[in-house]
Amino acid sequence: MKTFPIQILVALAVTIVTTPIIAQTKIDEMSLDRWAKLREVERYQLNIAEKYFKEKKYDVAMSEYEKYLSLYERSDAASFAQLKWSLCLNQLRKQNTAIKEGFQSVIDYWPDSSDAAKASYLIGRTYVEIGRVSYGKKAFQETIEDYPNNPVAVYSLSGLAEIARQEKDETSLVKIWKRLAFDVERTKLTGGTCATAANSLASYYFSKGTFPDALKSLQANYKDDQLSYYVYYYVRSPLGSLIGNEQTNGTGLRLADQVVAYLRSNLETDLSTDELKAKAEQQWHRMIEVEKYSRRDEKVLAAYQAMLGVFGNTDAILSNLADYHASQKRYEQARSIYRQFKDKVQGLSKVASSFTAEGNVTEAVKVYKQLAGIDAENSPQWQGAEAGVYVSVKQYPEAIQIYRSLIASDALNSQQWLWALATTQRDANLLKEAIGTFRQCENFPENYRQMAGCHRALKEYKEALILYGQIIGGSESMAPWAQLQIGYTYEQMESAELAIKAFQQCCKRYPKASYASTAHAHLQNKYKISVTLGGGTDE
Amino acid sequence: MKAVLTKRSFQQGSVVALVWLFALMDWLWLHLLPDSILTCIFSIISITCGIVLRTRFKQRASKTLQFWGMLSICVPVGWQAGVYFSEWLGLEVFRAYFARGGLALFFITGLSWVVWGIERHAQRIESARRDEFNLEKVLQRKNTKRPASDRRIWNPLDPFAWYYGQKSPRLNQSLNGFISYTVLFCLICMILSQFQGCTQYYDLPAGGGENQAVQQVVKVQKIIRKKFILNPYSAINYNTPDLDDVKLELNEVTAHRYTKMGFGEGEGAGFAGGTNDGMVGFVRLEYPGGDWNQDFGIGGDMNMLLKYAELTGQKIAKKTQAYSAAQLKTFDGVRCPPLLYITGQKNISLGNNDVKILQEYVNDKHGMIFGDNGGSRHFHNQFLSMMQRILPDVRPVRIPTDDPIHSRPYQITRVPYVAPHGGEEALGWFKDGRWVAYYHPGDIGDAWADGHAGVSQEIWSNCYRLGVNIMSYAHIEHAKWRLAQKQTGGEDE
Repeated sequence: MKTFPIQILVALAVTIVTTPIIAQTKIDEMSLDRWAKLREVERYQLNIAEKYFKEKKYDVAMSEYEKYLSLYERSDAASFAQLKWSLCLNQLRKQNTAIKEGFQSVIDYWPDSSDAAKASYLIGRTYVEIGRVSYGKKAFQETIEDYPNNPVAVYSLSGLAEIARQEKDETSLVKIWKRLAFDVERTKLTGGTCATAANSLASYYFSKGTFPDALKSLQANYKDDQLSYYVYYYVRSPLGSLIGNEQTNGTGLRLADQVVAYLRSNLETDLSTDELKAKAEQQWHRMIEVEKYSRRDEKVLAAYQAMLGVFGNTDAILSNLADYHASQKRYEQARSIYRQFKDKVQGLSKVASSFTAEGNVTEAVKVYKQLAGIDAENSPQWQGAEAGVYVSVKQYPEAIQIYRSLIASDALNSQQWLWALATTQRDANLLKEAIGTFRQCENFPENYRQMAGCHRALKEYKEALILYGQIIGGSESMAPWAQLQIGYTYEQMESAELAIKAFQQCCKRYPKASYASTAHAHLQNKYKISVTLGGGTDE
Repeated sequence: MKAVLTKRSFQQGSVVALVWLFALMDWLWLHLLPDSILTCIFSIISITCGIVLRTRFKQRASKTLQFWGMLSICVPVGWQAGVYFSEWLGLEVFRAYFARGGLALFFITGLSWVVWGIERHAQRIESARRDEFNLEKVLQRKNTKRPASDRRIWNPLDPFAWYYGQKSPRLNQSLNGFISYTVLFCLICMILSQFQGCTQYYDLPAGGGENQAVQQVVKVQKIIRKKFILNPYSAINYNTPDLDDVKLELNEVTAHRYTKMGFGEGEGAGFAGGTNDGMVGFVRLEYPGGDWNQDFGIGGDMNMLLKYAELTGQKIAKKTQAYSAAQLKTFDGVRCPPLLYITGQKNISLGNNDVKILQEYVNDKHGMIFGDNGGSRHFHNQFLSMMQRILPDVRPVRIPTDDPIHSRPYQITRVPYVAPHGGEEALGWFKDGRWVAYYHPGDIGDAWADGHAGVSQEIWSNCYRLGVNIMSYAHIEHAKWRLAQKQTGGEDE
């Protein structure tokens, strides 16, 4: 069996995610012309049903659509009401009934209405959703045959593409994409689906290393500048995969050369205005990015040099070049470039970051101190960064000292520094101090959670239990977690009976939370108790 | 006199051994003797062995070898008795432990004897060699370490065999003994496991029935009617309504229409094409890596099987069963278990061969897998990845609530669960016109077990109903397929 290229899967994922959304937004709506033709009473009733549908109260909406059908059976919107009734059933996970009694009824009773085509497509889509892929395939094919000029034919083709992907039928997949990209007339409703197919096809061709075909696919969607951007956008991932594989490395390099040549041919040479200059600069960056994906260091550096030659030593270009050196772990070269920045503060901050990345704390701290001196306005920011460096190497006393001074000096950001101080104290095992600092923080319930953790580490279980109780009372989302923690705390207190009760409470009070599952499993594993007082039903 | 006694004991021992072997073969493969006789035979032999062993134990100082020999004979007897009686008593978990522990003990016993035998022979040979020792000859060939370089020794019991080399020949001999024994043991186990798996059959109970939805139980609501107290001498002329004096049996439960559950035409609830000996069983997969035996046996999944019998009227097996993938393979191509239950909360470590067996079970033997998350998100991922290996071309989907599996015989409007370990949605794998796998995310097995995990009656009774639906669905689908196979002559009798 042939391996199904990952790139295709990625490309397809884009198709699958986007297409049904496009289909859905249009398929569950009725045209304004038809709304206009309705009598006031009909419109009133349909509006009520639509309101509930939008509010996702599908069972209520269903009965309202039913009411509409029994009152205004001969109305122009009856088929639409039937269609929406079926969509409600779909949402209520009664898809079999939706197909047989809903969508099929639309086709049988209102075969000439525009809703019949939609129902035909929805039958296929629903079948696929419930795993009946072969039925879905057949329904899509019938839709294409019965309504060739309707947008649903395009959606059905897209559905068939998804099935082909599932069945790993590459030939059919490419055939459908080609049809969608080149043969289907694009309208407001189908344009998106066709464009997505063309993009997927381009990704596929890129993954095969056939640049002209990929370009042709993208040309179906984009022109001029946009085309250049999307060539660069869609080539990256396939190129990375081709280069990463020894067997396809040669194809990848060829593809990279073709893409760079194409981008170069569309390079703006007129740099008379800022706008044109920015455009040219963007194109250069795209070319360099392609070279980066092809992992050719010399070509990347050469391209940067050429770019500097064209645009001069701007901070932006220098920054990109230096960042590239840093990414290749050539820190010294990177720093020498950072130091050439016109914006000294920016340059030095990058130097400090590179020292930190290299693990050279002393130098990083020196630079941050220098920065605090030079850039007095942003001094707290640089001091904070300095403290961060200390924390990263576990030199907590120095970091704590800095944070304390920042709390006193930078009142505007005191909450930020308090939190940083508290977490540092916690990491430094200064738990009592950490609790005091967390108490001053205002980000409930996270601070209470941390305080409880510290109390537990100090074996002050009662205090931890009180805090967990406060979390349960004050934060609905964190309550299941806190209840579970109460159980664990009782366990630490060696009070098995209370722990069991707490875990059972977790199952009983929050049966649908994942923490209930943890409590249930814990009760079973540790205490061999299966009576957990939980239980629920899928609604 | 002593010789006569020894001969007589030997003859008696041989008879007992033959009876035991025959009973063992009958239990495993032949199935000729009724269970009661087998139980008697195994009980008598086990007790006899125990008594003899006790006697030998008392005499062990003078008859050491006989004692160890008897102990070694008692190992397989005890092993078999442990497995048999655990099964007989319905202690399925102990049965598995006895089966595995017994095998290990049997291996160690054999290994001990091999080591002892090799050592004894080697000592004898060396002793003989010492007796033949001649100093003059040695002096003549003082540079020769090994005896007679022109004569190669092939006897593996001789430490001076040429292939043991000159460096540490005794160590090499021991290693050779251990490896040879292990290989031989594994080989015999493999052959026996193949032999044991000649073919196993799972027959459906004979009968017939319909796959119809059972009418819902309706509780009559108490309606308090208004009573008018009228003055018969009143000047106002009332059109007195007839008072409804019919006494309602309050909280009466309407008897639902009796539906014979099963498939096809036949007497009693069952399946067309089934046999009189056939029974509906509950089979689970014994997989390596995790806790496959959660809620297994009496008080666990047996409750579900009993409930199935109660609600469908079909004949059921005496106890629930567990099979490893290799054992599952030994089932007949058509007469195999229609449903395979998989539960746990830890790893599912299936090898490629096991996956192939499960693929064959689902695709060729028309089986259905029923997964139940016994307690963790981890198991959810494990189960999904296992299914991805078994059915790579089928994508799991949410099973609709109006699907036959959720509506026949019982209408399940919402999926009931104990705890949402793997979410709140039942997932299914649909292939070739049927569900080939059903995944319950919330420990349905716990709801079936004694105590029902403390969940409300509504939930656990719904869990039972869902269990009945799934079992019934799998058996009906299998019965249909069996009939189709029969018609096309595909049944491998």
